[in-house]
Amino acid sequence: MSGLHSHEGELEKALARLGGHVPFADLMAERHLGESTSLDSKATSVSAEPRMQGAILRAWEGRYWIEAATSDFDPRSLSAAVERLVQAASRSPTHNPPPGQAATTRGEWSTQPRRPMSALGPEGMVARARTALGWAKSVEGIGEAQIRIQWEEEERLYLNTAGARCSQTTNRTHFTAVPVAIEGGRAEFDFLNSGGIGGEEILDALTEENLTATARRSKELLSAKAPPAGSMSVILDPSVAGLFAHESFGHGTEADQFLRDRSYLKPLLGAQVGPDFLSIADDGALPGEWGSIYCDDEGHPGQKTTLVEKGRFVGALHDSETAAAYRVKPTGNTRRSDFLSRAFVRMTNTYVEPGDRTLEELVAEVKQGVLLERGTSGIEDPLGGQMQLKVKMGHRIENGQIKELVSSMALSGRVLDFMRAIRAVGRRADFSIQPGYCGKGHSDYLPVGSGGVYLLSDAVVGPA
Amino acid sequence: MKQDPDGGEIAYRVADRLKTAAPWEIYAERSERYEVHFNGTATELIHGPIALAGFGVRIFRPRNGKTSTGFQASTDLSDAGIRAALEDAERLAQYTEFPAKRVGLPAQGPASTGGPKVVDPELWKAPLDAVEGYLSALFAAFHGRRHAVPSFGSVRATLTQTSIANSAGLRTTYPQTTVEFEVAVKAFGGPEGPAPGEYWVTESGRRLDKKALPGAVERWCKYAADVRRATPPPTGALAVILPAGVLSGILPTTLGYKLSGPARLRKISVPLGQKVAPEKVTIRDDGCYDWSFASAPCDDEGSPQRLRTLVSEGSVRELVYDSLYGAAFDVPTTANAVRSAFGGTLAWKRFTRAPAPAASTLVVAPGDGGTDLELVETAKDGIWVQQLGWANPDPISGAFGGEIRIGYRIRAGKLAEPIRGGIVGGLVLGPTGAPSLLAGIESVGGTLELSESLAAPSILVRPLSVAGGPA
Repeated sequence: MSGLHSHEGELEKALARLGGHVPFADLMAERHLGESTSLDSKATSVSAEPRMQGAILRAWEGRYWIEAATSDFDPRSLSAAVERLVQAASRSPTHNPPPGQAATTRGEWSTQPRRPMSALGPEGMVARARTALGWAKSVEGIGEAQIRIQWEEEERLYLNTAGARCSQTTNRTHFTAVPVAIEGGRAEFDFLNSGGIGGEEILDALTEENLTATARRSKELLSAKAPPAGSMSVILDPSVAGLFAHESFGHGTEADQFLRDRSYLKPLLGAQVGPDFLSIADDGALPGEWGSIYCDDEGHPGQKTTLVEKGRFVGALHDSETAAAYRVKPTGNTRRSDFLSRAFVRMTNTYVEPGDRTLEELVAEVKQGVLLERGTSGIEDPLGGQMQLKVKMGHRIENGQIKELVSSMALSGRVLDFMRAIRAVGRRADFSIQPGYCGKGHSDYLPVGSGGVYLLSDAVVGPA
Repeated sequence: MKQDPDGGEIAYRVADRLKTAAPWEIYAERSERYEVHFNGTATELIHGPIALAGFGVRIFRPRNGKTSTGFQASTDLSDAGIRAALEDAERLAQYTEFPAKRVGLPAQGPASTGGPKVVDPELWKAPLDAVEGYLSALFAAFHGRRHAVPSFGSVRATLTQTSIANSAGLRTTYPQTTVEFEVAVKAFGGPEGPAPGEYWVTESGRRLDKKALPGAVERWCKYAADVRRATPPPTGALAVILPAGVLSGILPTTLGYKLSGPARLRKISVPLGQKVAPEKVTIRDDGCYDWSFASAPCDDEGSPQRLRTLVSEGSVRELVYDSLYGAAFDVPTTANAVRSAFGGTLAWKRFTRAPAPAASTLVVAPGDGGTDLELVETAKDGIWVQQLGWANPDPISGAFGGEIRIGYRIRAGKLAEPIRGGIVGGLVLGPTGAPSLLAGIESVGGTLELSESLAAPSILVRPLSVAGGPA
């Protein structure tokens, strides 16, 4: 597959034809490269990103958006997509322009990995994964381990009829190592993972020391007790704090939900919702982080948006349309999963800003509670204001001391209650962002980062 | 859907131009997708037609007494595109290794008639009209309701002609439709003034069933209204009733893995004959179950679907395999090759994935627990969980659990006040004698309900861990 530049002339022509019939139109073309390996002691597999490329055309027909996509750049296919949109637009009784101001950004960005994964090749990936497998299985009680290494190079080209042209090539690399301890019909695991924008250097976190520690934790989980159940003090580790930021003030501030009148946070804009030492942000411009973007799929640059500042709810995530409704600037958060999917307001890297407390200080404040570690998933409740966070493990806390390991659990609660109960936020030295994938509802998954620092509050937890 | 302008089925055309040694297989799709997204009852976006045509080629090469497989997918149907995909597959195969000596691919596809119902004829004939007609019926069902509205939602309908060809001579093709539906129902107003409540519906199926909408909307509005006055459940080990809509987020992922060839290869499957549930529990895998999201005339390797009993009277009877994992254990495929992503069934773009064994449609056999109300009566004291945030089951450890988005307290054998918040969770199945959802099944209802890729009656489990307010 050749790069998108070689198809740019045809894409520009298609957009120009469409733009002649509608008030505004834009286009996003996409191409992927990449490989992954997944292996354990029984099998080794290596796969490549599908040879897929294509473009989606979007037009404002006077009342709402219409879109058509094609999975090749053949002029006939592009013409067919344009023709369908022109026909659909011709039925519109109005030709009003879309709400908001279109981007006019012009730029070209490209990741420059220090050690490109393409140079490592499948043989190199398999070799690194096999070495890691050996480390994991060297720990007594580890019956199996799965190691997965993947990289992708994504090229996106955005054009619109207002003159924007954004070309970006992003390289993402990720690994997950899962040592599985097996005993008496039970299987348990901890996991080690890392991911970001870059190349082989991301894999430097896959070390013998890190992985054997993870493997030992897998074994300990076999005999871990069930977590306590009920309402109690909770300390979230940075990965879980990130899930909290993502599910609460991340999804809650996607402003398309404001327009739909489907956010419990909408009436609280400007209000104090948490303690003055708590701040939450979304930042698509964080260098090297998994969810970072050079520009969004409406041509707005990736940038930092403060959502909660010193406990006050101050900002939301916007596309052009919602920004116009709220008379603010778009925040660079319009994203498509791929060229086959629609654009929504989405997060990039969402996190709790560091405070100045150590974990030990947070633990010392807890009489009865639990430390939740290794966030695995979460789900939002845009109107109801609840949240669910799940973790792989934790430790019980009693009288200011960390006690025994406990197995997987979930946290449930009303976001605003949880916010008000936050009593401390951890220090910058513990700050980290984890790679993940986020859906809008249960669809349209795309890469996002979420993170933060240790955080102390109250919530309901229970086995899950 | 329109005829393919180039004629013939994609897999056959690719197969005819494929120049490589056996064994090989081609899985191809030609899809059209239509989405309508709405804000209130106004159109927000019409997305489509999104046209996608592509294929995945998989090759198998013997190496040192094992098998190397290579897979690549492409949307380039030209000779050069097919050649490039094949070269990728051959190149990648050099690095792969699987413990099977010889892989046999199915030679015979399904019968051309009599398969499961997986095509909505109205949708196939006029997709956008059908979607818009469905939405009109949806909005009509809300008409006149003073305290409930749809706040946001979408219908995503995909029409796919699937074709499969392989070096054993298989040539099979079938049409299918999938529908992903989402609507957020908001309840509001009233003199008491509590915050609005939402019931968030997400469903995946095969058809747009307008007739079911009036009754469904009535229920959704009730749940949304009940959210407004719901309180957390008590903490404790309680009797819990789980309907099909909740079980469909738990059982397919965990059982589909724990009772599969991949789990057996890693020595974490449940051994055949092991008792995992009371005798009243029988669970089948039925890829021919009408209208299920996971049903089709054949699996994703082309093997005809059939009915299998995975758990019989509480004991594990059979595991599921595809051709590759079957070969590892010298057993035939059970027609359970599934091309999935994120652990779930894909509505489209299956050609971009190599298959792996997974359950098709799981069917929990109806029991003697009677109606839902009779199950409630049997429970006496406990909770009914109508919807969980996300059970997100872990197939390796078997743990599941999630926040209650709406449910009901059961008191004195009757449904009582609504509950919301708190967590229900535990293990789906555990070691012999350990507490688990399956081991704790006390009663199985009598009426099957299809929810995505699971058909099940409601079940009563006693006890399950519930974390909420004071006990």
